[in-house]
Amino acid sequence: MSETVANRKKSRLQIRYRGRSAQVWIYLGKMLRMFIYQNDWKVLPMAALIAGLVGMVIRTRLFVTMEGTLMGAFALVMVCIWNGCFNSIQVICRERDVIKREHRSGMHISSYIRAHMIYQALLCLLQTAVTIYITLMVGVKYEGPGLVTPFLIVDFGISMFLIAYASDMLALWISSLSKSTTTAMTIMPFVLIFQLVFSGGMMSLPAWTNSITPLTISNPALKVLATQSNYNSRPVMTVWNTLNGMKDREVSATVTLGQAMDLLQKEDNPFISDFRAMELSGSITVGNLLDGVAESPEVQAHREDSHTFTSTVGGIVDMIGADRVKDLLQNGIAEASQIPDYEYTTENVVEYWLRLILFVIVFAALSIITLEFIDRDRR
Amino acid sequence: MILNILLSAFFGGTDSFTIVTSLLYMVGLWKMFEKSGVRGWWAFVPGAREYQLSRCAGRESEGRGWSITAVAMTVSAVVSQIVVPTSNSEYVSATDIVMMTVDLALAVTQLVFAIRVYSGLIEVYGVRRRWMWLWVLPTSCIVACVWGFSKKFQPAWKVEDIRAEMARLASHGSATVMDEGLTVNLEERSATEFFQKKVLLRDIHMAIPQGHMVLLLGGSGAGKTTYLNAINGYEKAKAEVMLNGNNMYTQYRKMQYEVGFVPQTEMMRGKDTVLNTLLDAAKLRLPKEVTPAQRRDRVNEVMEIFGLLPVQNNLVEKLSGGQKKRLSISMEFISNPSLFILDEPDSGLDGVMARELFEQLRKIADTGKIVIVITHTPDRVIDLFDDVIVLAKDSARTGRLAFYGSIEDARKFFGRDRMEEIVKAVNRREEGGDGLADEFVMKYAEVQHV
Repeated sequence: MSETVANRKKSRLQIRYRGRSAQVWIYLGKMLRMFIYQNDWKVLPMAALIAGLVGMVIRTRLFVTMEGTLMGAFALVMVCIWNGCFNSIQVICRERDVIKREHRSGMHISSYIRAHMIYQALLCLLQTAVTIYITLMVGVKYEGPGLVTPFLIVDFGISMFLIAYASDMLALWISSLSKSTTTAMTIMPFVLIFQLVFSGGMMSLPAWTNSITPLTISNPALKVLATQSNYNSRPVMTVWNTLNGMKDREVSATVTLGQAMDLLQKEDNPFISDFRAMELSGSITVGNLLDGVAESPEVQAHREDSHTFTSTVGGIVDMIGADRVKDLLQNGIAEASQIPDYEYTTENVVEYWLRLILFVIVFAALSIITLEFIDRDRR
Repeated sequence: MILNILLSAFFGGTDSFTIVTSLLYMVGLWKMFEKSGVRGWWAFVPGAREYQLSRCAGRESEGRGWSITAVAMTVSAVVSQIVVPTSNSEYVSATDIVMMTVDLALAVTQLVFAIRVYSGLIEVYGVRRRWMWLWVLPTSCIVACVWGFSKKFQPAWKVEDIRAEMARLASHGSATVMDEGLTVNLEERSATEFFQKKVLLRDIHMAIPQGHMVLLLGGSGAGKTTYLNAINGYEKAKAEVMLNGNNMYTQYRKMQYEVGFVPQTEMMRGKDTVLNTLLDAAKLRLPKEVTPAQRRDRVNEVMEIFGLLPVQNNLVEKLSGGQKKRLSISMEFISNPSLFILDEPDSGLDGVMARELFEQLRKIADTGKIVIVITHTPDRVIDLFDDVIVLAKDSARTGRLAFYGSIEDARKFFGRDRMEEIVKAVNRREEGGDGLADEFVMKYAEVQHV
């Protein structure tokens, strides 16, 4: 070997060294070794722990009601972003000096980042599998067909992987920008808060944030999970539950006879029109009777007489019909709460996936560009 | 509106109190700048005056931060004049909240930088630390005027007129390019920091034959590492560097495999094994056509040379200081480079281990390679070196060549036996040296011309 090395002296400038693609495998091998030796494997039990905690909270709500679905989807988005960010936030800055040295010895930055992309993709894939498995174990039911694949669980898995991977690439970029792990870990909370606040799904934001929201990973992330969970067709439970909780509360109202009669004659109110349509005997309906009573001189003479009624919320609900009220509150409000962005269509899911893939590409490219300037670091 | 914007940009506010105090502050700084040898009109340039004040205080890095935040504050003041509140709501608008948050963050940052710079000024003017309160409080305009106009307040030193000094000390020469060996003809290596050009190295010419082991000497900040980075093409200078007839700069991508640079600190992954570290280094540095078996042989050969075979399966972080140094050298040696550069390879090693390491380097040089070494304890291994390069920081704070030649010639030239005494001779007085750098730089330039 030493002779080989010595013989090649004169024509050394013609010698070809490993190119960009070949270098990717050198670094990928190194990273896989680091997975074992540098305790990178710890991200997997950490992902399981987080998934378990979140799964226990969302298991009875996700895919059940609108509010539960949105809250569950948001929680899963945050789990994925958290996992992705913490996979790579320190990986570049902790070995910045080593990268500088290797860059000077012929390492290509693009090879290094591409190796990271492959390695982090594997890591995110494993974390997604762990997260789905754990949430399944604690009782989250990913049942039914998916919009893109035949199984909802596979569609959900792809989305969760892309969310984690896009976040991973964002953190990789921050890591390549940071000169030390302390700096990277200082920036990290701001990134998480930014993603949390500007996702645009959980809290109403002022109009000026409209241009910022699409720049967050959490925005397409929440949209894709809400779409896949069929958010728009889920009922709203909050109002009915609130009403149910108040069923023993007493309510009283003072109305004049005239007001009561006018109310009972309102045909445009669905309850009253149904009530009026009820047949008493033969062709006589409640409406006919009420109209007759309202026109009678006795009632006309006492239109201004006031009467106070006292009842409970439950009593009123029973009077109208509990099923009717429940149906109105759950489905009527749900219909009004539907969001076009969460419409259960394949096009929506594909669009959000593409947006997440775009984030991956952009952040990886930014990482390469940023690290190309590593030689300019101050000594 | 336009007048308000201009006033905000220049004085940081539009009210008469702000304008008057700012004006007084600028006038005071103008006189202070003149006392420190800085052009007075900088005092009237927002953003730049903070940096110039930091130069007077000898706190340039803090001054850069202060300047940037000052510019940001000026921009913020201008924006606040342009952005008219549109909301009549009883609540503060989101834009106002953002502006207030940014202003607060900038104000705190600016205060921190300002305190650091004022602290430096207090040291330079040799006054009591309680003056700091007057600088930080809105009384700064009065302090600036007092320090600027009063003859009682004088700075301990002036910001040097670097250009004049450089002109005085400029010397020109050239080394003849050799077919075999390293030829350096460096005219200038400069860096721009905060719009200001700094000459780090100037006029260094030398030809080092193959097989020579060269000691690179110089005090702290003399530009030793900058010089090494310049000759291997990593940080390009205005220079021509030829290694065995090939230009290091124009053919850098291919020539980088001809140079082995061992950094001062062990830049290696602690959680990888010695064997894997070397195998990866071999994959990166050896030609594509080398087979895995040949690569493994070369790694074994290098591990044997540097005594790493017994620890080949150990994690790097578990190695001793000496073993880490040897591994770091092995990583570069694996590609058998023609030029081998080592930045303080003996730091952290005891005398015996350091001696062993340098003996190994001597053997490498004896195989026909050029070995250049920086060390701060040269005398214990000086017998192993052929030549010495002495770099010195001249009065313009530029790294200059004070000597290049054999060890014996160096002793005669400086009139000192020990290398550490030579370093002391060229070091600046404030660094504990004899402050003879300019003298030796001129003397060496004369010797070269003769």
